Amino acid sequence: MINIVDPQLISPLAVSFGAILGALSRYYLTIGIAQWLGTNFPYGTFMINLSGSLLMGFFATLAIERVITSSELQLLITTGFLGSYTTFSTYALDTSVLLRSGSQKKAMFYWLGSVVFGGICLEIGIALAKVIG
Amino acid sequence: MRQKQLRSNNPNLRAPLAISFGAIAGALSRYYLTLGFNQWLGTAFPFGTFFINLSGAFVMGFFTTLALERTVISPDLRLIIAVGFLGAYTTFSSYQLDAEKLLTIANLGITSLYWIGSAMFGVLCLQLGSYLARRLP
Repeated sequence: MINIVDPQLISPLAVSFGAILGALSRYYLTIGIAQWLGTNFPYGTFMINLSGSLLMGFFATLAIERVITSSELQLLITTGFLGSYTTFSTYALDTSVLLRSGSQKKAMFYWLGSVVFGGICLEIGIALAKVIG
Repeated sequence: MRQKQLRSNNPNLRAPLAISFGAIAGALSRYYLTLGFNQWLGTAFPFGTFFINLSGAFVMGFFTTLALERTVISPDLRLIIAVGFLGAYTTFSSYQLDAEKLLTIANLGITSLYWIGSAMFGVLCLQLGSYLARRLP
């Protein structure tokens, strides 16, 4: 078999390809959700981080249960796509912006809700993968 | 015939291109830093993701305050750095997965430090970055 791509390059290429898809999905979803539900609350980042956590639980468990056997595909989905799709820096920024705009309750709900619901979504993803896998 | 569509300053292409460039750099930095941290400090605690998320929040605070209050930064550069690089460099899904993994190998104290601590220190680091950007001479 002819190696078209240097094997040492396959991992960074998989991460990069996933990262482009993840970051662009985040960008367009954030714009779309802001147009749909307004900008009083960071609905976009909230939904992205929760859905990304669910998918992370799902795909990481499939990898552990050896349903996904290719380590490059695993890197593309988890480290590349989901790693870039979800974001921690924007989450911290959103919290700070909510705090400064004087809506303490919203800030608290967003800040703690992302962490708690994110953890619950991850567990749902893990449970779903165990049912399927 | 006008050739407007062929120019590289087509705004419909500039934004996704800027984000993609930033995202590749951000995700690869995260990937190699995580591997490096694992080799350096071991895998008993997710030092890599912890450091990445806190440093990313710090830079996000610094950069957005700089862009909003101190200096003019082009929209393209803002997309490359804030949405592309920092968005892809930091990660929420790996953070949640790490916390879940920690639960099985560490005690509740260490797991809470990582789980709630990342959220607390993340906001603090962002505020610190923002504060420093305002203090710049």
